[in-house]
Amino acid sequence: MRSPLLFLLIIFWNGLGLQANEGKHWAFIAPQRHAPPIVNQANWPKNAIDHFILTKLESANLKPSAEADKITLLRRVHLDLIGLPPTPAEVKAFLADQRPNAYERVVDNLLASPRYGERWGRHWLDAARYADSDGYSHDAPRVMWQYRDWVIRATNDDLPFDQFVIEQLAGDMLPNATTAQRIATGFHRNTQINSEGGVDREQFRIDSIFDRVATTGEVLFGLTFGCAQCHDHKYDPIKQVEYYRMFAFYNQVDEPRREIPTATEIIAQKAHDQKVTALTAKINSVEQGSDARKKLEGELAQLKKKRPRATTALVMMQRSSPRMTHRFIQGNFTRPAEEVKPGVPSILHALPEAETANRLDFARWVTSRNNPLMARVTINRMWLHYFGKGIVETENDFGTQGSAPSHPALLDWLATEFMRNQWSRKAMHRLIVTSATYRQSSKHRADLNQADPYNKLLGRQSRLRLDAEIVRDNALAASGLLSTKMGGPGVFPPQPPGCMNLGQHRRNWTVSTGEDRYRRAVYTYRWRATPHPALKVFDAPDAFASCTRRIRSNTPLQALTLLNDPAFFEIAQGLAERILKEGGKTDEARIATGVRLCLAREPDAQDLSILKSFLTRQRKLYAGMDAVALSAVIHRAHGAQIADETQRSEKAAWVMLARVLLNLDETITRE
Amino acid sequence: MMHDLQETTRRHFFSRCGLGLGSIALGSMMKDQAQASPFAPKQPHFKPRAKNVIYLFMGGGPSQLELFDWKPELAKRHGQDIPESFIKGKRFAFMNSSFKKANKLLGPTRQFKRHGQSGIWVSDLFPHISSITDEISVVKTCKTELFNHAPAKLFMNTGTGLFGRPSMGSWVTYGLGSESQSLPGFVVLQSGPRGPRGGAVNWASGFLPTTFQGVPLRGSGDPILNLASPKGVNSQSQRDSLDALKALNLKRLMETGDEEIRTRIASYEMSYQMQSSAPELIDISGESQATLDLYGAKPGQASFANNCLLARRLVERGTRFVQLYHTNWDHHGGPGETLTKDLEKVTHDVDQGCAALIKDLKTRGLLDDTLVIWGGEFGRTPMSEARKTPGRNHHIDAFSMWFAGGGVKPGNVVGETDEFGFDSVGRECHVHDLHATILHLLGMDHEQLTFRFQGRDFRLTDVAGHVIEPLLA
Repeated sequence: MRSPLLFLLIIFWNGLGLQANEGKHWAFIAPQRHAPPIVNQANWPKNAIDHFILTKLESANLKPSAEADKITLLRRVHLDLIGLPPTPAEVKAFLADQRPNAYERVVDNLLASPRYGERWGRHWLDAARYADSDGYSHDAPRVMWQYRDWVIRATNDDLPFDQFVIEQLAGDMLPNATTAQRIATGFHRNTQINSEGGVDREQFRIDSIFDRVATTGEVLFGLTFGCAQCHDHKYDPIKQVEYYRMFAFYNQVDEPRREIPTATEIIAQKAHDQKVTALTAKINSVEQGSDARKKLEGELAQLKKKRPRATTALVMMQRSSPRMTHRFIQGNFTRPAEEVKPGVPSILHALPEAETANRLDFARWVTSRNNPLMARVTINRMWLHYFGKGIVETENDFGTQGSAPSHPALLDWLATEFMRNQWSRKAMHRLIVTSATYRQSSKHRADLNQADPYNKLLGRQSRLRLDAEIVRDNALAASGLLSTKMGGPGVFPPQPPGCMNLGQHRRNWTVSTGEDRYRRAVYTYRWRATPHPALKVFDAPDAFASCTRRIRSNTPLQALTLLNDPAFFEIAQGLAERILKEGGKTDEARIATGVRLCLAREPDAQDLSILKSFLTRQRKLYAGMDAVALSAVIHRAHGAQIADETQRSEKAAWVMLARVLLNLDETITRE
Repeated sequence: MMHDLQETTRRHFFSRCGLGLGSIALGSMMKDQAQASPFAPKQPHFKPRAKNVIYLFMGGGPSQLELFDWKPELAKRHGQDIPESFIKGKRFAFMNSSFKKANKLLGPTRQFKRHGQSGIWVSDLFPHISSITDEISVVKTCKTELFNHAPAKLFMNTGTGLFGRPSMGSWVTYGLGSESQSLPGFVVLQSGPRGPRGGAVNWASGFLPTTFQGVPLRGSGDPILNLASPKGVNSQSQRDSLDALKALNLKRLMETGDEEIRTRIASYEMSYQMQSSAPELIDISGESQATLDLYGAKPGQASFANNCLLARRLVERGTRFVQLYHTNWDHHGGPGETLTKDLEKVTHDVDQGCAALIKDLKTRGLLDDTLVIWGGEFGRTPMSEARKTPGRNHHIDAFSMWFAGGGVKPGNVVGETDEFGFDSVGRECHVHDLHATILHLLGMDHEQLTFRFQGRDFRLTDVAGHVIEPLLA
């Protein structure tokens, strides 16, 4: 199944005399940069990506799809880059903007928006198995949100990806490590902690390291290091002893919980310290042994106890007394074999003087430009989010058991381009979303379905159901209820009663009030054992292990959630309020407003006719409804009260219409 | 079943829609709806012996030595040290506290008798289960690998102690689909003083699509999360909404040709069906008094007995896999965990319901098609713990479970343990073997039921598992 292009590349490599790579699996050979191929339809490509895509389509005698209409494209790029839909005003402005670079300007604005970090930071948090609880059976709460905020901030700041990784693997060991760099090491503290009675602590410490090695392999190499825990890897050239060499880097770690004050806490602590200094000075001015002085000393003791505590974070710290590392027979920690020194798999690029290397050296080795995998794997995952699947479909297995890249030359070009751009993720996002490939329509075409049923050649875009968080954020944005407050401890949006009884221990879920009720879902408190049901049901991972690709399911429980969940019904009520307030006077104008808020586009005649007849039926139905039922439908928690009887049934009908709009497949899909 | 599910549904679509969307009439699209549903029944690998599963999970680790594994020698040697050879190199829970040094042998604390034609030993704690011995197969040599509750529960449910893998019910519904289009294919019912340790991960779908995760029927409030329409939305309004959604979604399907929309429409229709079928399901007031008495069930009062009755009603209505959890089997000997009144309470909680379920299924002709499984995540040690009152620690080397119904040999005992009930003698039935056997009874080869994830074809049985022939009819 090797493509002719790959075949040619192999010939080419061999021709260059790279005999050392002969027989080596492609992924272990450093990416080679080749000029974008020449194509026939020369006016189609917008950048290099399109040359690689089009050349394959042309050799299959297929044409790419036309560019999506402007509104679809705008909504797509909004949802992809910031996870929120364009506002009707943004749509209007974009349609009116006739400048040739109107689209590129939108892209630049979106990449500069703080919402971008909330969207793309969340993808990384999946891989980092971030949660706000310990996991295992007790699932005790933990304070970890500073790490989540660090990820969002670093993503918004476009911290170069190599630095982004170094700080997470070994930020504590950097010279003059900053607070932020220490918080970043929370990446590998996102492992579970077992506090069940009767457990062997050493067993679970070892299990955390197993997790760290496996996660490092999966996230940064796209390799299943974990397979070599018990035996030499069955398919990839990774020996069991090499697994334990990498284990050795993580074995020298202490796992403290540190107080790391936030900016406001620093101010509060400083203010307090000043009070202490002032009082101390006052005491020194009073005669020793006097009653007045004794009283003041008592006050000082009391004051000192009240120093404001700082928020804690789980971080990594290098141990002062090194541990010996052994290979474990069959991965069983009760069966240690020979001692193992730090090191890396010999199939990968070299780590000089590995035996004396530490975790920081390891981090630098991982992010080295000689690493044949990290750039490819990272770009491939980015690609996956835009097209529904990666250039390498098995995005976390680039080994010999993984699938071959559909466009190997493109993957390599992107990987080298990523490094050429000094590991700037924003530069790569910009490149991808401004390509003609990305901008295509997602409509199915009979000829493509016949010739390329899996859309591997990308002759069209794909429709993708929104991620769990975005299902909620998108609805909140449409209704106008969304809060854009960033950061801080996890919040508790409404959820149906009884959801916290499912774990072993009943955990707290006191619903947030005020704007915290309507925050973006990236800030929702994440219990591992009892995740928020509306996130879980739309396939948000539960953070028991690293998740580098979410599955998209499509179930009746999702329907029940969107239709009946109190939180979503509240959003429908909010949307109805907004439609009635901003949507003009006629039914048609109001329906059009609702459609615009949910779908960005204008309704067509058929949409209008379906929705108008629905509205008419609901008006009749609710005109005859008793006051209690009516009140339940129209009164949003914290919403405005409505006194006028006739207005009540009218609003109820609009709530029902808003609910239909929020439930549409199109609303929860990126087209 | 080798492929990613989404790929499969896509391929299915493209093979039918290659003609072009224009030629497919709206009516026929609706008719085909069930076909496109991920819940539709699927063909097993070979002729199945059972179609459905009811798994009675006894959370905490029931003491086999007080229930099914009668050990007269253990009774004789009560209070003596266990020979060193048994425990050398073994690890136990609480190794640093109450189980620091190996403790003295603890004789069985209950009276045992043989029951039925089969003469299977059952203790006096199970008077009702004693009456169904000729229907069941007791496996005395079950073996697991993990000795803490949550990991061991996961191991029993998913074949690994690691979080994030699919549970047995998910694998089974992934492999076989469901006969019901108005109720979930995999349903979980819970009773006892608290939820099972680990909670929802025990019935999670792991890396399988969430379509296949267990749906807990709740003891109070809506039986299924968000089942009831919001207050003030009556069934007419709900139906109108569904109709408008269907019309608009179908329109979008025609415009885009994306088959996922068909599944979305099917999901919405099923959710509507569930709104009426789930309340009907849990309303047991229509059952005859004789049936209610058989189970000891009382309408409106959540209990293990009610759940057993609900399990029967679920398989009657086509649900593929029903799992009942009943907790509090963790009899270490401390307060609330005694082998006396606490064990008596929990056995009394479940005894009548278990027996009634087997009898009721048989009467209704459902037992031939339904595999019933009874057991916990591990058993308990022949040695006592250093606690105030006698109790037993977690034990993973040999413990008892029982099976009944579709394809299971009735009135049968599989495996024997040594004189203390510590280890198996002869056929050991590892959790992987139990899983392989359960899948076999359902017509599936455990080596063929796979899902590709992280570059590997995963199985319920990991890389092990042999069908336990002596368990089969």
